[in-house]
Amino acid sequence: MRPLLRWALVAAAAVALVTFPYWSAPWVSRFATTLVRDALILAMFALSLDLLVGRAGMPSLGHAAFFGAGAYAAGITGQRLGTDQLPVTLGAAALVGALLAVVIGVLVVRSEGIFFLMLTLALAQIVFAIAFQWTALTGGSNGLSGVGRPVLAGIDFSAPDLMYVLVAVTFVLAALVIWGLARSPYGRALSGVRENERRMRALGYDTARLRLSAFVIAGTIAGIAGALSAYSTRFVSAQDAGLANSVRAFVTVLVGGAGTLGGPIVGSALVSLIERVVPSLLPTDLRISEAILGLVFIGFVLFARQGMVGLGRSAYYRVQHR
Amino acid sequence: MSPELVFQQALNGLSFGALLFILASGLSLVFGMMDVVNLAHGAFYMLGAYVALSVVQSTGSFWLAMLAAPLALGLLGFVLEPLLLRRLRGRHLDQVLLTIGVSLVIVDVIGQVWGREVRSLSAPAGLDGSVTLIGGVYPVYRLFVMAFGVALAAAMAVVYRRTRVGMLIRAGVQDAEMLGALGVNTNRLFASTFATGAALAGLAGVIAAPVFGVQPGMDTDPGLLYSLVVVVVGGLGTLSGAVAGSVLVGPADTFGKVLFQDVALAVIFAIVALVLLLKPTGLLGRIRIAR
Amino acid sequence: MGGFRKNELAEKRGYTYRLTRRQLLVATSAAALAGCAPGAVTPSASSSVAPGKELKIGLLLPFTGVYAELGNSMRRATELYLKQNDQKLANRHVTPVYADDANVTATGVAATQKFIDQDQVDVMMGVVPTPLAYGIRNAVHAAKLIFIDTNAGGNALTRDTTNCTPSCKSPYIFRASFSSYQISYPIGDYLSAKGTKEWFLAYANYGFGTESAADFTTGITKNGGAVTGKVAPPLSNPDFAPFVTQIKNQPTKNVYSFFSGADAIGFIKSWNSLGLPAAGYKMYGAGFLTEQDVLREVKDLANGAITSLFWAVELENAENKKFVADFQKSYPLLPDVFAVQQYDGMRALDEALKALGGDTSDKDKVVKALEDVTFKSPRGDFTFDKNTHNPIQDIYIREVKTQNGQTVNTISDKIAKVTDPGK
Repeated sequence: MRPLLRWALVAAAAVALVTFPYWSAPWVSRFATTLVRDALILAMFALSLDLLVGRAGMPSLGHAAFFGAGAYAAGITGQRLGTDQLPVTLGAAALVGALLAVVIGVLVVRSEGIFFLMLTLALAQIVFAIAFQWTALTGGSNGLSGVGRPVLAGIDFSAPDLMYVLVAVTFVLAALVIWGLARSPYGRALSGVRENERRMRALGYDTARLRLSAFVIAGTIAGIAGALSAYSTRFVSAQDAGLANSVRAFVTVLVGGAGTLGGPIVGSALVSLIERVVPSLLPTDLRISEAILGLVFIGFVLFARQGMVGLGRSAYYRVQHR
Repeated sequence: MSPELVFQQALNGLSFGALLFILASGLSLVFGMMDVVNLAHGAFYMLGAYVALSVVQSTGSFWLAMLAAPLALGLLGFVLEPLLLRRLRGRHLDQVLLTIGVSLVIVDVIGQVWGREVRSLSAPAGLDGSVTLIGGVYPVYRLFVMAFGVALAAAMAVVYRRTRVGMLIRAGVQDAEMLGALGVNTNRLFASTFATGAALAGLAGVIAAPVFGVQPGMDTDPGLLYSLVVVVVGGLGTLSGAVAGSVLVGPADTFGKVLFQDVALAVIFAIVALVLLLKPTGLLGRIRIAR
Repeated sequence: MGGFRKNELAEKRGYTYRLTRRQLLVATSAAALAGCAPGAVTPSASSSVAPGKELKIGLLLPFTGVYAELGNSMRRATELYLKQNDQKLANRHVTPVYADDANVTATGVAATQKFIDQDQVDVMMGVVPTPLAYGIRNAVHAAKLIFIDTNAGGNALTRDTTNCTPSCKSPYIFRASFSSYQISYPIGDYLSAKGTKEWFLAYANYGFGTESAADFTTGITKNGGAVTGKVAPPLSNPDFAPFVTQIKNQPTKNVYSFFSGADAIGFIKSWNSLGLPAAGYKMYGAGFLTEQDVLREVKDLANGAITSLFWAVELENAENKKFVADFQKSYPLLPDVFAVQQYDGMRALDEALKALGGDTSDKDKVVKALEDVTFKSPRGDFTFDKNTHNPIQDIYIREVKTQNGQTVNTISDKIAKVTDPGK
């Protein structure tokens, strides 16, 4: 297909996504907007994790620390500085996400495999513990309520439809950034580090710096996703930085397909579906949505390791080479 | 802190450590043998506790539960390994991911079958009293747990070093492929190892129940979290690593929680982070030969 | 798939299929995302407000996670009330819509949004954890959704606070349970007035625990009492021995504790096995320390503990006797305080609707009707404080005793008509 056509399609899809609340109004309730909005935030969070897990080969189970830190930063700066301005609060979220990623990154970047996993988990749990206990700053276990409205250029984005647009636009921008990174020499160097770090070092790459920079980029984007979550629910919970949230993102990346752009997106759609929609479809006595997620996960690991995107690809190839 | 208080807290820390060892030993064994971090280990521990509940409820015997739970979990492990893990032989990360799915399923099934109330188990008659020690009265059961932990470690060491099975396991740790080439049925060995790991988790579920309780959420906290902490801190995959990890983490967590109450939540993870930063493969861990 | 242009490369190679990889990816993602909006999210028929039409009640409860037992208990109470009233409240047939928050705040917030936008419930009830109540307060207030909180006891939910931090009251929010002040301050005041001045605190280190300990401390300092020290284990603590050992090694024998559920069980078991009762230490606490779920497991180990709560199974009034009997007949279980809270919430709504003739079209009238509600509940006289929408209720001083083979909370005294200060 001509590149121009491909770009046009992607642009059209992006526009459709961003304007979803408006053209879908006749068919679905406003809750659909909330659902898709939350799925997009998860997708952004998962995309940032995929940069680590899928591309750089760094399996982090502590990524929610940045999500939570960004959420808190957005809420706290808004309240303490008495401002609603989006650039200020979102900028604070990105900055805090980046700084925290530098601090944690420096500590973890030389570990690998299970040790990297455990170290990221442990350090993220420390962040969670701080969020849970430091009541004066974060609201402690009761959470941070009254997160301000995001205002940009005089427009108040707290109305549900506008909030969705804000999230969708940010998501599209983040996806573009990650897509661009993946295709760049930098992204290829990251893949190289995942494939064979020793060889990359022999080739003269500073692999530690590569991994650290990936960690910081991922942390920054996760922080922004966290800020969006804070704006949409007007509330930050310590759980946003907790282990369950990290695992959730991890499952999303894997189910969707690690190392691809579409993977985290598709994965977040599936995970959101299972978490938010399935429970209301089951009889109230049957609380097995986690088991369903587990079975789906097992199924993917056994039969569709490349996730849904991988399934899609093999379906396409099978069809193509009829 | 007065000397009596230090002594009592040391006892608390060591008995807690003993429980952690019993809990973590299975995880360490499975990793050492199969290079798989079984993230369903906490779910196995939880299932063991609930099986024990049922056994005690119907027969009244804690000792029977101590036999039944490991047996049940061992059976489950023996079935799961060939069913799920064997298909992914050699793909270690994928096996780890698979165990995440398994734990999600087991925990929900427990909730459906046994319900989601908070439950507990009492120490068995004979072990539920207290004895007078320095500084006052101390529960017999916690002393029993310490003795049991030591006995289990000793038994595992004997099996590991002086029996044929132990030799096979040690060989498998070194080079499973070679072992298979030498004619050993590695499939059966791996299945048995995984089953033993699960059985140990189930045993921990029974023994820890009078102290840690039986409730929703126990698969992660304390189950998986503390198991991971112990084996990673002590050094993955070795018995001595699991022992070292428990002996360090038990008292450190106990004293840390009491001395630094406001950051008690973070204490255990600070310990992990500290150890890993100073010694990346754990206290007694060896660098593994890449396969 | 209609709408896609010709795949020239495919054509050149003679393939008949027209999709490219990107098209497939985009289509799959869009389909997957759009697939989130099947029949499950199409808006339900708008609920009519005329009397006789269906009344939708959204119940946000935990059915999985550490508080699942509470959610199940509260659902039983809901179903019992509806069964006793022909599935009706006043003249409106009730459709309960249950949602599981799983003790994850984000899930509960999303479920609340679903109640408002999708299910379009008339009234919302439930909510066990305080952070969740704080998290949904603004959404509920903005949507003018009548929300009857049937558990979460965070003080701020029914008070005036500066900057609405951590939360604040709303005209549309009522509470049928308690404020943590009500179960902590009065007992502090009561016990210190009776002469016990020196206290040691033991509480779970999270919002509810710290709030209860603080309110208790206010109660004792009012009468010249003082706190000599504290231990604050983290929430969901596995091993209580270290903390109880600390208690044993200090001189103050009167210990006020706040723990609930699994923590309470662990604390009480450690307390006994380390010999504290024999050493003269006395256990006091807020009622959840020795509620049904705990006593069922620890049994006589809790004997002698003195706690304060607005209800006990043993409460001797006609309403409670009938409630306990009816509950046991429907389910082979004793009711617990959470069931009472939910049951009273249903009753309050019922009474308000009766006064309105079933008409829920004017939210402000519903609010006024709820404010005017007064009835005899299993806990005694029930009415909402018009200022805070928190219950005005009697607080009982209870002591754990084993009688007739059952370990129960027996009532030893009563502090009448406790209101929450509201700021």
